[in-house]
Amino acid sequence: MASFGEKFEDTMMTVSEVIGDNKYLTAIKDAFTAFMPFIIIGSMGTLLKTLISSTTTGLGIWIPQLAALDPAFTAINFCTMSFMTIPIVFLIAMNLAKQKGGPEHATGVVAVAAFISMVPSSVSVEGLESAIAAMDNTIFGAQGLFIGMLTALIFGSFFIWLTSIDAIKIKMPPSVPAGIAGSFNIMIPVFITLAVSSIFGVVFHLATGDYINNWIYDVLQAPLEVIFNSPMGVLAMVFVSNLFWVLGIHGGLMITPIRNAMFAAAIAANTAAAAAGAAPDQVFTMGFWCAFATVGGAGGTLCLIFATFIFSKRDDHRAIAKLALLPGICGISEPVVFGYPLVLNPTFAIPFLFCSPIMTAIALFATNVGFMPCNTVDVPFGIPIILNAIVGHGWQGAVIQVIMLVVGTLVWIPFVMVANRQWDKEQAAAAA
Amino acid sequence: MNILLCCCAGMSTSLVVSKMEEAAKEQGKDYKIWAVEQGEVANEIGQFDVLLLGPQVRHLQRKLTKTVNGTAPVAVIEPTAYGSCNGPAVLKQAEDLYADFHK
Repeated sequence: MASFGEKFEDTMMTVSEVIGDNKYLTAIKDAFTAFMPFIIIGSMGTLLKTLISSTTTGLGIWIPQLAALDPAFTAINFCTMSFMTIPIVFLIAMNLAKQKGGPEHATGVVAVAAFISMVPSSVSVEGLESAIAAMDNTIFGAQGLFIGMLTALIFGSFFIWLTSIDAIKIKMPPSVPAGIAGSFNIMIPVFITLAVSSIFGVVFHLATGDYINNWIYDVLQAPLEVIFNSPMGVLAMVFVSNLFWVLGIHGGLMITPIRNAMFAAAIAANTAAAAAGAAPDQVFTMGFWCAFATVGGAGGTLCLIFATFIFSKRDDHRAIAKLALLPGICGISEPVVFGYPLVLNPTFAIPFLFCSPIMTAIALFATNVGFMPCNTVDVPFGIPIILNAIVGHGWQGAVIQVIMLVVGTLVWIPFVMVANRQWDKEQAAAAA
Repeated sequence: MNILLCCCAGMSTSLVVSKMEEAAKEQGKDYKIWAVEQGEVANEIGQFDVLLLGPQVRHLQRKLTKTVNGTAPVAVIEPTAYGSCNGPAVLKQAEDLYADFHK
């Protein structure tokens, strides 16, 4: 058993190190971390619309003139969420350059340019003979996210590699200021990168009849979205995150690169659906993750705190529970994970692994039967329980959260009892 | 002495930071102690004398040691002290690291 445990820990540590060290995944993760405030604010645009300018749900009921503000709130949503691919491409490429030691800003700009060079810049409109110069907004929005991410990584790396080749740097005499010389240095790499990307875009279109952005969406992004939005996909993410937490490694951090991309696409799809008057249908958002999948801290540790208060006879556990209560309410589990400790603790491993998937399943069920809506207002990490559910998912969210916390506490109780018995034995052994 | 802590979002380590600050104050020491998100460490180089990682990001120790590149000692906070937010113990760990590094 011990050898299995060790092997498991070794494997997971190696996986964690590989993920933590991987420059591409780190670039994606840092980009989404940097962009997170904009996603939250973008979703606030939807909230302002509902609360203020709407003539059916907002202040607009009494002051119809407020409806004039509607386009402004829509614009807040559009310039952040529905335009997220462009800043994300820039940020990923910039972070990649930071990791690889390339020119940060130039790489960001080149990646955006390479992305734009591959997508169609005209739209055919029914009834018009020639296509008009315009870009389909699916290019900038969440639908362009994966092709954007791939472009940033592939063409970003390509460009960074080109800038490292001395032979293609345009040399300036030493009297030329460094800033000017720098911009000449990258001229040939910029040309080569954009020539390759734009020619690739054209060739791809000629060969397949489809544009690369549409193709990647259909072939890669849409299927992934279906998988990650399915109940099994959501539960798998929660479980994998917990597997790392059992070792005391931040599980959320491990799945961030893929998870946060799915989050961004999902919340953008939800706000777009709401704007079009349809019901939002993407479950797996940041708000869902914080308010339900990791409510009270990854692994349902807040429920352990409750169970400890009610049933534990152990002074050491009760002391940590008191200390960890406030952080737990804000979704921080570390004091419990390392204080009890839960790390490689065989007594608590089962509930630590399975409590939050069970709780998440309750929230998924509530969504699937139509009791709880999918959120259009996103909620960041660190907001206290109940409040985080109300902001994102309304009163229904709060009700579900309370039910989840009760069920979660019931899950932990038997194991708190076992810990009591172990404590009694230890005390008896120490006394003897 | 300047002590930098880092974890995933810089949130849970900031709990430890406040306990460490209390402990330092009680001991009459004027230390600068703060916490950042793990990706931010590179931007803080030169500002800190000791870098402590939350145990939940201990898999990043090798990477961050490379990032810090010998300018300061890097260590993982002792998990039990971290979990119980034991300010004096973590402070002591930082001081010992610093002393060891400058021996």
